[in-house]
Formats: sequence, structure tokens, C-alpha cells
Amino acid sequence: MTKSCIAAAAALAATLATPALADFPRRPLQVIVPYAAGGSTDLGLRILAETIERLYDGTTVVVRNQPGGGGGIGTSAVVHARPDGYTIGAGAQGPIAILPHVGGAEYGVEDLEYIGIFARSLQLLVACKGAPFTDYDSFIAAAADKAPQIGNSGAGGANHISAEAFAMAAGIKVESVPFGGSAEARTACIGGHIDAMVASPAEALGAAESGQMIPLFVMEAERIDLFPDTPTAVEKGVDFTWSSYKGIIAPKGIPEAELAWLREAVAAVAADPQFIKTMTEMGELVAYEDGPAFEARVTKDAEISREVLESLGLLGMNN
Amino acid sequence: METLSYLAPLFQLEVMWTIALGTLGGLIIGALPGLTATMGVALLIPLTFGMTPVMGLNMLIGIYIGGIYGGCVSSILLRTPGTPASAATVLDGYPMAQRGEAGKALGMATIASTIGGLVSAVVLATLAPQLAGVALQFGAPEYFALALFGLTIIASLSGDILKGAISGILGILISTVGADPISGVMRYTFGVQGFAAGFAFTPALIGLFALSEVFTQIERIGLREPAITLVKDRWPTRGDMRDSRGALVRGSIIGTIIGIIPGTGSGTASWIAYNEARRTSKTPEKFGTGHMPGIAATESANNAVCAAALIPLLALGIPGDVVTAVLMGGLMIQGLAPGPLLFQTNPEVVVGIFGGTFMATIFMFIFGMALIPVFSRILKVPRRLLTMSIVIFCFIGAFSINLNPVDLYTMVGFGVLGWGMQKFGFSQAALCIALILGPMMEANFRRGMLQSGDDLIAMLSGPITLLFLALTALSLCWPMIAARRAARRGTQPN
Repeated sequence: MTKSCIAAAAALAATLATPALADFPRRPLQVIVPYAAGGSTDLGLRILAETIERLYDGTTVVVRNQPGGGGGIGTSAVVHARPDGYTIGAGAQGPIAILPHVGGAEYGVEDLEYIGIFARSLQLLVACKGAPFTDYDSFIAAAADKAPQIGNSGAGGANHISAEAFAMAAGIKVESVPFGGSAEARTACIGGHIDAMVASPAEALGAAESGQMIPLFVMEAERIDLFPDTPTAVEKGVDFTWSSYKGIIAPKGIPEAELAWLREAVAAVAADPQFIKTMTEMGELVAYEDGPAFEARVTKDAEISREVLESLGLLGMNN
Repeated sequence: METLSYLAPLFQLEVMWTIALGTLGGLIIGALPGLTATMGVALLIPLTFGMTPVMGLNMLIGIYIGGIYGGCVSSILLRTPGTPASAATVLDGYPMAQRGEAGKALGMATIASTIGGLVSAVVLATLAPQLAGVALQFGAPEYFALALFGLTIIASLSGDILKGAISGILGILISTVGADPISGVMRYTFGVQGFAAGFAFTPALIGLFALSEVFTQIERIGLREPAITLVKDRWPTRGDMRDSRGALVRGSIIGTIIGIIPGTGSGTASWIAYNEARRTSKTPEKFGTGHMPGIAATESANNAVCAAALIPLLALGIPGDVVTAVLMGGLMIQGLAPGPLLFQTNPEVVVGIFGGTFMATIFMFIFGMALIPVFSRILKVPRRLLTMSIVIFCFIGAFSINLNPVDLYTMVGFGVLGWGMQKFGFSQAALCIALILGPMMEANFRRGMLQSGDDLIAMLSGPITLLFLALTALSLCWPMIAARRAARRGTQPN
């Protein structure tokens, strides 16, 4: 229902907006991805770029990878790009909502223009091989005796924050074990070297089906289709939700017309059936949110991150 | 029999073309310094969207296999490792090229890569599920011990133990720049955001080996250039093959084992294989002077990693190295979840990939052998022109990885460092190994200590850890043992 609404609105917006903006874009758009080529953010953005080129004849979208500094370098490049609408960037949760609190980023949440979110990456907490718990309740009970070791994809990263934020909300203690990326954490999990980890549905699905991991709970408000039998923390009485996202950001000060074109383009892409199909097969949840909703989400995440980092003594450690 | 029928789609002309093109493309990407197999696979994933899984994935595997092999071309001809996997090939390949034996060096590299590739492809096709379980035994302490064992190579690589140790320690110190792997605190970045992830490895490598050589060449300007004889032979002689037999066997086995262990890659494998070939050789002093078995060891090992790294990916859904992690993305885009169930749900894909690794390896051999005379023409370019082009390639290569200007400073800095080290007899290779293994050793030591509650004894008490620690001790004491044995036999140790 909402999907078709968005599609209709996008189609309407397209017909209304296109003639007035026929002069944009005149040259290739450049999307900065703050991570190396091949990761899920990169792949998502490449599919987005391809879809824009297909939907808007004659438009060229170039994806440029600028990894490093936990995404801070590429994001900073977007913040400082010329605000003419031609340079935009991938708005990933880590660099925009978390990194400014850790320090070492020369920008804040307020220094960006938010175009829109086109996909969200859901997260689950899963029990690893040999863990002394097999569901949500036994996990909470076990945590009372001994802090479970929870693997994450990197210190100060999105799923380090989410595991600690959950522990704070649920009133338990956990021991976070940082790895160099989620693939390493997943290996340690399947090998039984950690008790639990924060995983995406795509990372957990095959492993859960073959019994290598047991999903404990979903970090959403409601249960998700891929894991219909897995409860949410909310239903267990803990007010906690968390997901990371893929969106488009731009430098502050883009002219109205260009901003409108970009926002409408992201909405149109998120409503495109072929885009939805490709993204879904990759395990992403296509979920459109407009600029203001995007900004509100980032602001909320930034607040949670600040609290968690403060409690861990990591606030501003790299300033 | 039914299983074999899954191989039929591989022999469609269209599919064979795609694999051949992927392999050739990978070969070229690998030969260009700065462009790695990882990048090739990542950039071409979108091309596979419209292909069938077997076709698309095998094209990517072709790029992977071709890319790892292609790195040897510039290592041998230009002293510029095309990919980190071929950094160790520089040691013996470049001296051979300078002696006018570039063709033979490339021929040996091609044959070694093929043998390594085929051995690990056989292991993949026959033992994947059984071996994948072994890979899971590796936790933080095991990785730490493996990295420590790898670092002992430094002792045997450098003639002068003290200078070798200094090079190695310098490398480890340099590798601590950037975010602390456990707490995320920035170390030694001096506020430069570009150093947040540490010095980028490939630009450092290009500087260390290629740019430093350029500086050395510049110093020699005006001196008479040594005449380089043209490439006539590309097939190693029977004697060469006999000398290299041990290195080939050991390199293939070491590459396969390292490939199966997730998180390690072809860079690590080629150095360990080189060390083992040298350590077990009757003439270790010939290594580093343009000795065929050196090339045989490193090139068989780095290509043996390719198919082996697919073992944990296909059997467990765990990528074996960086390239297979990107390949995993390719699998998932095709709607296939890698893992134990893949063998049941999509046996045609698994068998198709097994077959594809063989096919890509054969294509690699054919293209490699056929192109040797073409590649070798590089050496006909006048030295000054060549030196200038190498500089340009260094800059393009170092910049193209991340488009990060800091990487250029990194490359130039390491170029100056490498030039100085070479001048004063410090081993650049030792520094290179420390840059690869230092971070692996540190992160896993810290992680292991964190997990064991800071109990060192508990952390190091696993059987695999103890095995690698014992190997480390043996490797460190080996020169003494070898000397004593030689003395007992009444011959002089070298």
C-alpha cells in the first residue's frame, strides 16, 4: 500500500518536476562512497547509480570510492564538496551518526543536507556455536552470571554501538569483542570463538538455516518476514530498536531546484521494481524515507551513540 | 554421474568465452601495479547481474586467478609487484630478468602458478566440506601464533640478523599507525585523517619496491647501461624443473593450507612458501640472486590460495580472503546463500564453480605462456624511458586504489625509505612481511587476551597455537641446527 503510494507520488513528482529541471544534470553526477569497492554500501550505491541512469535517460552517475578513517574521509569529502548538486555521497550510519562522537571527524550531523534513505539494513543478535544460550530468555539469564562475549565488526562501529545500547536498555552486561570487519566476526562466531554477534539478516539467514547460528532477537519494532519466529526486544519489554541505513547525503547549500531533483530521484529509485528486486536478493530491505525523516533518524541515532560512547568512556577519544 | 552433468553448462561457447575474458582481464589488472585482484572483482560484479550464476561467478573467479597470477609479470620485469601476492617474486624474478632470463622467469612463474592452481582446485573439488571444518578451529590465539611463525621468515631472509631484525621491527612499528584494532583509538596519526586506517598497504609496497628502484636507477644515470639480452626461451629446462620440484610441491601445499584458513591470503602464503623453499634448500645462498626455485615457491603458493580460499566460502559461507569476501557479495546478488546448505540446494552452482576454477587455471596457463614474448618487449624500451614510465605507473597505481592524495605521500615516503634501506643493506622484504603480518599478530593477540580475561597461559594453550609456537621456535633455531649438522658432516655451513 505504502509502496504503491510512493510509486504514484514519485511518478507524479517526475512528471511535474522534469520539464522545469531539464537543465539538471548537465554533466555526470558523482556519488562518493566512503568505503572500498565491493562492500554492501558500495554495491547498494552501484545498483542505485545504475537505476538512476536507467530511469533518467542521458544521466550518468559515477561511483567514486574514497575509503578510510571508518568512512570519515569520504563523508568529509562530501561535506566539503561544491554544493552544486553534482557531488553527492552515500550517507552511511557510522560516519554520519557515530564518528563525530568518537572524534577525528571534522563535521557534525548538522553539516549535511539529507536527500533520502533508500534501504535499511536490519540487525539481529545471534547466538554462536557452543553458546550457553539458545533464545532470548536464556541469553538474558546467562548474562546475569557472566557477561557474554559479543563480536562486532569494529570498535566504535554501528554494531558495536547497537550491542552496547541494547545491553544498557536491558540492564545487562556484555563484553564486546571487536573484529576487523563483519566477515571476521562471522568466522569466529561459526567457529564458536565468541558467544554471540550482531548480524544482518543476510549474514544470518543461511547460517541459521543450517544451524550454525541461532537468532536471539530482532532489533526492530516488529517481527520481520525472514525470521518470523524470532522475537523483537520490544516484545520482550525492552525499548530498543536499531538499524543501519543506506541513504544519500549532499553538502549544505545546494540550490532548491537541484535538491528537489535529487530527492525525487532517490524516491523514484526506491519505488522501482527492478531496484527493489535486486536489493532484496542481496538481503537489503528497500525502505524509502525522505530528507526530513532521514535527518530525524540520524539525530536520534547520534543521541543514542553519544550515550553509549560516554558510558564506555570512548566519547571524543580521537579529538 | 548426475554430478558430472552439472559441468555441461561450462562447455557452452558463451560461458567459456566469459571465463577466458575474465582470466585475461584479471591477468592484465594484476600486471598493472596498484590494480589488484580484489579491485578487479569488485568493479566487475555489476557486469554479472544479468548472467547465470555459473557464468557470472566463474568470470569473477577467472579475474581472481588471472589477477593473482598477473602480479608476477611486473614483479619480474620491473621489480614492481603488480599485486601484494607477488611481492616475494621480486626477490628472484627481477635478478633473473636483469641477467636476460626474463622469459624463463616468467615461464617458471606461469608453470608454478598453474601447478599451484591445479593442486588447490583438486583439493577444493574433493575435500572442501571436510577441510572447511579445520579452518573453524582458528580463533584469535591460533591466528596470533600463525602470524608469529610467519614473522620468523625475517630471520632467514636477511643475511645480517641484526639488520633484518631492525627492518622487521620498523615494519611492525609502522603498522601500528592508525586506529587501534581493539579500542579504536587513533595512534600516531598526528591528526592527519588520511592516516586513520594506517598507511595504505599497496602504495607502501609500490614505494618500497618500485619507486626505490627508480631512485637507484637515477643514481646510476650516466653509467653504461647493462645490455639486456632478449627473451628467447620461455620454457624452463628439465634441470630447472628438477631443482624446483621441491619448491613447487611445498609451495602448492602451503598455499592451499593458508588459503583454507580464513583471514589470511596470498601475500602471507607466498612469503611462507619462499621461506620454506629456502630453509629446506641445499643451496639457500642462491635465493635472492635470481634462483628459479624462489619463483616456483612464491608463484605456486599464491595461486594455490585462490581455489583453496573458496573452500570455507562454499562449505561454510566464510570468505577465505579479501577477494573471496567480495565474491561472496557476487554469490548473494545471485540469490545464493553460501554455506553448508549450498551443496544441497544448488549443487549445480557448486560443481560449476569447481569446474570453473580448473578452466580458469588452464586459460591462465595458455594466456600466460602465449603472452610472455609480448610482455618481455617491455625490456626493449630504453632504460630511461622505462624508468620514467615506471614513475608514472607508480603514481597512477597508488592513487587509483583510494583516490586519496595521502596514499601518494605514503608511496613517496616508502620509496625514499626503501632506497635508503637498499643502500645500507637493510631488507625491504623483511619490512614488507612485517607490514602484512604485524597487524594480524597484534589484533589477534589483543583479541585473544581480551577473550581469555588477560590470562596469557590460558590463551596460548590450544593445540594448534602450541604447534605454531613450536614451529616458531624451530624456525628461529634452524640456522643453528643447520650449522651444527653441517659441522658434524664436516662441511662448512654457508
